[in-house]
Amino acid sequence: MFEETVEHRLRPIAAAFAESDLVRIRVADDAAEIELRRAVPNARAVAPGSGGEQTNRTYDVITAEVVGVLHFQRPPVEEGYSLDGDRELAQIEALGIRNPVRSRGAGRVACIYVAEGQPVDYGQPLFAIDRS
Amino acid sequence: MFRKILIANRGEIALRINRAAHELGVPTVAIFSEPDRTSLHVRHADEAFCVGPGPAARSYLNVANIISAALICGADAIHPGYGFLAENARFAQICIDHDLAFIGPPPATIASMGDKAEARRKMAEAGVPTTPGSEILRSLDDARAAARQIGYPVLLKATAGGGGKGMRVVDGEDDLPSAFATAQAEAEANFRDGRLYLERLVRKPRHIEVQVLGDRFGTIVHLGERDCSIQKPSHQKLIEEAPAPALSEPIREKLHATALAAARAVGYSNAGTLEFLVDGSEIYFMEMNTRIQVEHPITELIYGVDLVKEQIRIAAGEHLGFAQDDMSPHGYAIECRINAEDPANGFAPSAGTLVDVEFPGGPGVRVDTHIVAGSQIPPYYDSLLAKVVAVGRTRANAIARMERALSETRIEGVPTTIEICRDVLRSEAFRAGGVDVEFLPSRFIADRAVV
Repeated sequence: MFEETVEHRLRPIAAAFAESDLVRIRVADDAAEIELRRAVPNARAVAPGSGGEQTNRTYDVITAEVVGVLHFQRPPVEEGYSLDGDRELAQIEALGIRNPVRSRGAGRVACIYVAEGQPVDYGQPLFAIDRS
Repeated sequence: MFRKILIANRGEIALRINRAAHELGVPTVAIFSEPDRTSLHVRHADEAFCVGPGPAARSYLNVANIISAALICGADAIHPGYGFLAENARFAQICIDHDLAFIGPPPATIASMGDKAEARRKMAEAGVPTTPGSEILRSLDDARAAARQIGYPVLLKATAGGGGKGMRVVDGEDDLPSAFATAQAEAEANFRDGRLYLERLVRKPRHIEVQVLGDRFGTIVHLGERDCSIQKPSHQKLIEEAPAPALSEPIREKLHATALAAARAVGYSNAGTLEFLVDGSEIYFMEMNTRIQVEHPITELIYGVDLVKEQIRIAAGEHLGFAQDDMSPHGYAIECRINAEDPANGFAPSAGTLVDVEFPGGPGVRVDTHIVAGSQIPPYYDSLLAKVVAVGRTRANAIARMERALSETRIEGVPTTIEICRDVLRSEAFRAGGVDVEFLPSRFIADRAVV
């Protein structure tokens, strides 16, 4: 139950927060409340290996470039998979055309934000790739 | 009726369409660009899709993403609003090709009215008066011959044009070569179509337009005229009123009859507007806008018709629910456009965060807006913040009400057009009625500069 909450609700919020320039965000509903604070104004501004305060991991969030329906590449990648280079992870089907979604380099699939057959819109986080 | 309507626009018009659809019991889908994520038009819709980043070319004009969003969510109609894709015949055709109803006239009508030289030719054939002008000019020599025949001053115009781009006033033959070259280059750059034509310049006309509404079964009615002569130096409208003041009944009737004849000549369906230049007792067809206009609320208020709901009903294949004889205006309505612009600096648009926003209320006042305190005004889109509309039994009544409404309006954070609208409303010439399009640029802005 807790894992599912983290998986489906916390991670997208965390990803959106990481992508933003916000320093604090609070999200609440009937069941739960969560507040995220940033230790440094913008984690993205911390260059890899420069020794950010919180973590020395760097993530790239791969987002949707087109509006469409997501289909994973077969066989589908799973969280924890290591990618040895630029790999096609999925396609977004729009107007009958399948637009490839690539990992843009090597890394570890740290998070998958979407499900097979899910509609996605522009800028929606799809995968987080750990480049460290 | 439609199952679901995708609204391919932003700002106040997206909200306006959302309201009409909801009143008809039809669910809505908003599209938005990244900077518009928290905008009111997104919050009011039942579903929403981000279609791209800030620049309109990659979001509100991103046809592939818009159509894809419509198909994914199961919409069966698209309302384009005004601006963006509203008068793009290819977009209308693409909607139809994907089994999505385009809420507007057929693509062929949009195309023929969008080509200004063709629209003039069609209207002239239908007996609609146009300013004396030429066909498409093949060369500078062609232009010289045509200008001599028409008589200077002439207006050089791009057939694909709009917004004053590719347009030049030419006072005499000496100025023609350079004007021809620059207008052609501008038209090429802006519309990828450098074709030009000539028209006789009408000095100091009034700009009066007629609203028409037609269904798909050949019934066409007009909903009277709107006087849009209060324009910025860029010819963009600032204040509109309906009915047109200080206009003789024969001219008013001629405008209505001509608009109906013109709409019938092109077999028009859905909402459209015929713009005319009025010079004394002469009227000249200027262009036809094949979409809902920004200033449509003033017509709605005096005719008691919801034009956007009618647009949706007509596109869904319903009959117009009324005939010309059922339609008569009651009272007067005025609209002031509140833009994020600095009148003291050539109406330069501004972007920023609105710290304080208060809108008027009370009897006879309508506000169409998408802004609230804290709204971010992105730099990418047009600068319209709100339309404040006032209606009264008499024109004096409507003006008094508008002055009261504007005195209640507060927008802090960006320069606005509130004060210049108030100044216009106070002026004797405006109160007398019947000013021409040069009123604001020449007398008014000049007066302020002296003060």
